[in-house]
Amino acid sequence: MDQTHILLIDDEEAFVTTLQERLEMRGFSPRVALNGEAGLEMIAQDPPDVVVLDLRMPGMSGIEVLRRIRKGWPGLPVIMLSGHGSDQDFESCVNLGAALYHKKPLDIDVLLESIRTVTQSSLPHR
Amino acid sequence: MPEIAPEARFMGTVTALTMHEMQNILAIIRESAGLMGDILKVNARVEFKHRPNMERTLEHIATHVDRGKGLLEATSRLAHSPDDDLLDGCDLAVYARTVAQLSERLVRLRGAAVDFTPASSALPVAVGALRILMAGYRAVQWAVGAGVKEGVVRMSVEAGQEYHALSLLPPQGAQQDREGLTVLASLLEEGRVEWDGARLRLFFPVRKQE
Repeated sequence: MDQTHILLIDDEEAFVTTLQERLEMRGFSPRVALNGEAGLEMIAQDPPDVVVLDLRMPGMSGIEVLRRIRKGWPGLPVIMLSGHGSDQDFESCVNLGAALYHKKPLDIDVLLESIRTVTQSSLPHR
Repeated sequence: MPEIAPEARFMGTVTALTMHEMQNILAIIRESAGLMGDILKVNARVEFKHRPNMERTLEHIATHVDRGKGLLEATSRLAHSPDDDLLDGCDLAVYARTVAQLSERLVRLRGAAVDFTPASSALPVAVGALRILMAGYRAVQWAVGAGVKEGVVRMSVEAGQEYHALSLLPPQGAQQDREGLTVLASLLEEGRVEWDGARLRLFFPVRKQE
């Protein structure tokens, strides 16, 4: 059982629940939020070790969620996932301090490697 | 800043949004196929008649999701190319690759293939992304010309002091018309086109640091 606490925030339920299941098969216990507001509440209640965050969501955008995470939990690493946004989106994420930025669809092994990388180098925040 | 027709902006906006949705669809397909693959792996000792077919099918799904991802990436770049921040200049290295991706189908219909050599670093040019895509795509159309039944269009980028270039080597046997060069030149505005009988080069002025 891997003790890394992962929070997945994505409005695409079929995507995020399947990803959750695949991570569970690899020994993780990821939590899922289907929108930005719910994700921030989950972080406030029990901060994870890493957040995997979709860029484009109805309601609060991934960029806004990232901005609020940076303000409230500066050491919490965030991996951004996106369909192919514009170069501006990428720059905004980097400027706001996203640890990594990946484009969907993403190989799960790449995601796992990213999670390992950012959690090993992040500041304690729990 | 160059004028962009509202129709082009409209098509770009709608296409970009749709491509984003397509990425989500591909991601769901990939994860679902990945989960099926995971289940097969953890039940590796359970034999059933159609296991090889299922494994092969999952490989096909992964291969074609990757193929679709490349096409969507290129189409998304095309859709975003009328964006304001890409009208005055862009990275030729990125948009040359996009031209190669977008023209693969066109070239394959002629029985040929595209071989693109990527740049090792960014090549900022003072030409908008949409203009490069238009000129580059038109250049590929011209390069595969008449008479091509097979072969390879070799594309690469060349860095220079005043101009960076998109370079195309047409397949052997392709017959190009001179009029096409005039059309290409008209698309380049501040740039220029050169054809030495074997290689076509589209030159774009380097974007100077402000």
